[in-house]
Order: sequence, then structure tokens, then C-alpha cells
Amino acid sequence: MKVQILGSGCPKCKLLEQHAREAVAELGIQADIEKVTDIDAIMEMGVMMTPALAIDGDVKSVGRVLTKEQVASYLQGGKFHAL
Amino acid sequence: MPCNCGGTCETNLVYACSGAANTGLLADQVMRTLNREGVADSTCLASMGADLSGFLESARNATRNIVLDGCKVSCGKRIFEKNGIPCTQFVMTDFGVEKGKTKITGDLVESIAANIGEKVKA
Repeated sequence: MKVQILGSGCPKCKLLEQHAREAVAELGIQADIEKVTDIDAIMEMGVMMTPALAIDGDVKSVGRVLTKEQVASYLQGGKFHAL
Repeated sequence: MPCNCGGTCETNLVYACSGAANTGLLADQVMRTLNREGVADSTCLASMGADLSGFLESARNATRNIVLDGCKVSCGKRIFEKNGIPCTQFVMTDFGVEKGKTKITGDLVESIAANIGEKVKA
């Protein structure tokens, strides 16, 4: 599984990355976590607001800092994260 | 990139049908004018139609989605309806443009863009 955190590298992007790492660790799954900071690459994925989260190339969330639980919901295949 | 890092800034996105007729050309040029003037950020309607996740999620989270359709067929609006995403539609033929007949000039593009810009900001 490939988890991408899309954002310029600001504190909120880093917080989303932290939540993603925590979710992956708690679920005990094998996942590569990649930070995407290149604006052109981000926009090529159609992301117009950051931070964003993509799993296996599928963008799940834009413009929000998801909680660890919300990231975990997506990692487990949830269509919508639990608010 | 209109909004960075989960801020509370307003994000207006604009899409054009860019269809084959003169009205599609007009919609496209008006979209680029609105983008250039900072009314909204242009993005791809074709990507929405292709169900690309990043574009769909961006639309779902935008403050306002402005769809510029060339004619009453409303392909752009239908793409949003198909995905259950709200949008504000403007149809080029509602501005006195005749599909397949009216010549698309710079003045016409500027005039319609200004009109839409005022409505969006209202």
C-alpha cells in the first residue's frame, strides 16, 4: 500500500503525515508513506487544496488535516471517513 | 494552488465545457479570464467527467464550483449532478450568443467574464 501526503510542507501537512504514520503503525499494515511537495505534481493529481491524502493513487481527502482515526478508516477501505 | 494547508480561505473553482462549438470556445476563454483576474481558479471539467479522485475531492471541498456551459445541453452541470456536487452554472447562450453563429471576440469574452465575476462576488 502506498500512502501519499500532498502539501507544501507546512505544519498542517506535517501533522497529517504524523497522523498517517500513527494510523499505519496502529493498524500494523505494510505501507510506504511518501510526501509530495512539488506543486505541479500535486495539481496533476487534481488537488486544489492542501493538505491532501491519497492511498494507492486515489485521492481520499483534500484541504483537511484528518485525524489518525479518519486516516485509519480510509486505510481500512472506508469510503468516507468518520467525522 | 488556491488554498494551502487547511486554511479557511475561500476556494472558488471554475470549469468550462470547452465544447466543439463557438460557445465551447467562449466558455473556455471566459474561464481563463476569470482565472487570470482572480475570480476563481480554473481546473479541468474533463477530469471530473473521467471520475479522477483528486478533482472530485477538490470540487467537493471547494467553497463554490462555477460551471461554464456553452449551451443548454449543460454537459458540465450534468457532470456535477452525476456526482452529487453542488455548482453554480452559467450558460453562454444566455448572454445573447448564438451557438454556431456568433463570432467570439476578445470584447465578448471580457464582457461576459466581467458579468459573471460580478455575480460570483455578489
